[in-house]
Amino acid sequence: MVNRRAAGYTLLEVIVAMAVFGLFLLILGVLTVEMRAQEKRLPVNFLRHPQIVVVISKLRRDVLDGHGAKPYRSSFGGYTQSAKTLIIESVQENGGVQTIVWDFRTPGEVHRHAYTVGVPSDWTARGLPADFSNSLVVGAVGIPGRPWGVRVKAQDGNGRIAIDQILQPRAHE
Amino acid sequence: MRDERGFSLIEVLAALLILTLVITMSLAAFVERNKRLRQASEIILAYQALANEAEYRRRIDYNALEAASAQFISDTTLLAPLAPFGTAVRVDRTQPNVKNVTMTVRWKNGQREARLALVRADTGGTNLW
Repeated sequence: MVNRRAAGYTLLEVIVAMAVFGLFLLILGVLTVEMRAQEKRLPVNFLRHPQIVVVISKLRRDVLDGHGAKPYRSSFGGYTQSAKTLIIESVQENGGVQTIVWDFRTPGEVHRHAYTVGVPSDWTARGLPADFSNSLVVGAVGIPGRPWGVRVKAQDGNGRIAIDQILQPRAHE
Repeated sequence: MRDERGFSLIEVLAALLILTLVITMSLAAFVERNKRLRQASEIILAYQALANEAEYRRRIDYNALEAASAQFISDTTLLAPLAPFGTAVRVDRTQPNVKNVTMTVRWKNGQREARLALVRADTGGTNLW
């Protein structure tokens, strides 16, 4: 006669053990799906990308230091003011004025060309996400009584707005 | 012989319990990490909206601050992923010629909140831009 101990499990024992574990896995699955659904509501956080943070920070500095009530030029050095190109005259630390061209046209790159008395100095950010480069637009925003501001917008791959910032020149008098 | 007896139900359940604990702890760490990343993304959106609103509130005449809208004037499309959300602006006079403009974004039924305060001073002249 076979010893009960040596006979292995009964079907009922196996079913109970598997049911307990299955229930646990089911709860985990439901929680994970719910968590993913919550995450998908939010846009990709471009501002976690160090190069994008630097681009926005430098751009903010340039706009806040915009020179006078009309710091924007319609064209300069072969560049034309557009949704992908920002031309701005910005006050330097020494009080001089720099003409700065922000060029967002190259996918994955942002170029900043600064001209001081005609002498250029360039800075480039590389390795930017394609969605950021493709969707980034620079527009104008009007707040009554203030010079035109710059509105920077970028969307993630699903069309959700990830960056929407108003940059407003400050008075320097 | 003992090796041929297999495991008892208690032994199997104990093993599953240990496995469950390990999986639960791993998942808890994963969920917590994702929760914090999500909160960081939400805060980034909220503070962009707050900073944009601050640009509008800077320009409002000092004496007209209280009369201005108690909701955000600026475009809040950016906050759509936080819907339903609420915005509020409160003006407090802290000193005779100083007012605090506190802008607030609330979401998740008011459980989450981001604030930005702007100090406005009565310069007696026209507003600087």
